[in-house]
Amino acid sequence: MVTEEEIEHVSKLMRIDVDDHKEYVEKVNMMISYFDLLDSAGVNSEEITMPEISISNLRKDEYIPFDDKLIEKLNHYKGTYVRAPKMSS
Amino acid sequence: MNLKISALEYVQEVKTGNISAEDFVAKTIERIQSIDDKLHAFLSINDEAVDQARNIDKKIKSGEKVGDCFGMPISIKDNICIKDSKTTCASKMLENFIAPYDATVITKLKQQDAIFVGKVNMDEFAMGLTTEFSAYGPSKNPWNLEHVPGGSSGGSAVSVSAFECVASLGSDTGGSVRNPASFCSTVGYKPTYGLISRYGLISYANTIEQIGPLTRTVKDTAFMLNLISGIDSNDNTTVDNKNEDYLSGIESGIEGKKIGIIKEMIGDGIDPVVLSATKDAIAKLEGLGAICEEISIDMVKYSVAAYYTISATEAGSNLARYDNIRYGYDFPLEGYEFNSYISKARRNFGPEVTRRMIIGGFVPSAGHAGKYFLKALKVKSKLTREINDAFKKFDFLISPTVPILPFKLGEKIDDPISLFLVDINTITANLTGKPAISIPFSNSNGLPIGIQLMADSMNDKSLLQAAHALEQTVNLPEVPI
Repeated sequence: MVTEEEIEHVSKLMRIDVDDHKEYVEKVNMMISYFDLLDSAGVNSEEITMPEISISNLRKDEYIPFDDKLIEKLNHYKGTYVRAPKMSS
Repeated sequence: MNLKISALEYVQEVKTGNISAEDFVAKTIERIQSIDDKLHAFLSINDEAVDQARNIDKKIKSGEKVGDCFGMPISIKDNICIKDSKTTCASKMLENFIAPYDATVITKLKQQDAIFVGKVNMDEFAMGLTTEFSAYGPSKNPWNLEHVPGGSSGGSAVSVSAFECVASLGSDTGGSVRNPASFCSTVGYKPTYGLISRYGLISYANTIEQIGPLTRTVKDTAFMLNLISGIDSNDNTTVDNKNEDYLSGIESGIEGKKIGIIKEMIGDGIDPVVLSATKDAIAKLEGLGAICEEISIDMVKYSVAAYYTISATEAGSNLARYDNIRYGYDFPLEGYEFNSYISKARRNFGPEVTRRMIIGGFVPSAGHAGKYFLKALKVKSKLTREINDAFKKFDFLISPTVPILPFKLGEKIDDPISLFLVDINTITANLTGKPAISIPFSNSNGLPIGIQLMADSMNDKSLLQAAHALEQTVNLPEVPI
């Protein structure tokens, strides 16, 4: 069983305000509770397989210039840096 | 002007000079303007579409080489980037985002002289299966305006079904192409993982999602696949399909092919009408010479829980970039502290995306990963093994695409678990990377039913042959709009 405090804690770490308890904490708890079903799948000894791509199949690690200066599209781009809000005092 | 023709018919008609691209595209735009108030398939319309079509007519007249689409009007799900046009993901978060580059699928279609008539509605960031989670309001099912069109590529399915375009591109992470295709009576295709480049598709759950076409016919899907599939240096997960021609031999039939009927997909919770349509489809396939037998895929029961765990985890990571500094909503910096600024920006996500991000933070976190995320990956591995074993015995697997009929708007929106279970038949193809197609098959009191066929990886061509064979047995009513 997941506690509502745990959900609220994770939300904070994800930088999400959960102002509406019913919409976020309660429904999320309902959804996570459904995942308890995974406990009865009997997969504890199962190996996790991952798709593998060999290095030879990756494109070359080289710089490909992009014709558009994307950084200039950032709203708070100041020519040599991007301005961010101040850290807590 | 008949807007109800297929993509291949359109190409033929324009090629032979029976119709002009300009007339067809202009009539298509007129139709969108006259009926989309009711349907809400489109989020934006390309004002230059008619001019672009006129240019293609000029190219044809002057004998210049023209791309295979001949100005065919296509709609694009609003999570696929078209350079210099809005790509909102149906989210307030990206309501002013102008894509700085074309997705690979868009580059390819532009080279073939396709025309993008507009960007279509979806559940916000593709999270949902009704379009009710769009920040701009739901789309309506053209078969019955009180019912959901399915999702998340709901706008794509509606626009094809209601003749607002000839074909559409959607994306499919857990059934998001096939589900709306089934609910709106169009063909919907989720290719083998890696067959179509995801470069320029706004990421939700990278390891399982694919772009896929929605069309009027199976042949049109094969035609679209010919245009957009193949290896791409901008997406290292793409596979080399050696320029396969998916249209050639599409009429090969399915005589002697073995088809497995997945027991877990026709069991508890299935609507009896859908079950009866599925049995009918099986009988028709047998009539064409296929051999059908039941098979049990035990892990299907756990696939929904595994899917939501994995997709939420990937979404939690992918959506971290929307912090209003790199991407996101725009407001001034003054008066905010760093963390509260980002939290405020992220308030622009809708409720479903927010919930999934919270889940995506929770299930892989220290102390919980073993119970949720790692177990979900184990279910995925075991499911893949079970499916691979099934394909040693069978050529295809069959099920209804969705176990229930299109339901009413608002009917399930407050019940996340009953929404989860709508995905149960489509998720397996995503978790295992296999190709799957939804074929319009039946209609119950005006509500469409689709049948799903699945094949082994890279057997997309034979899957389309089987789908085409089934499609030929069907005679469906015309959409009442």
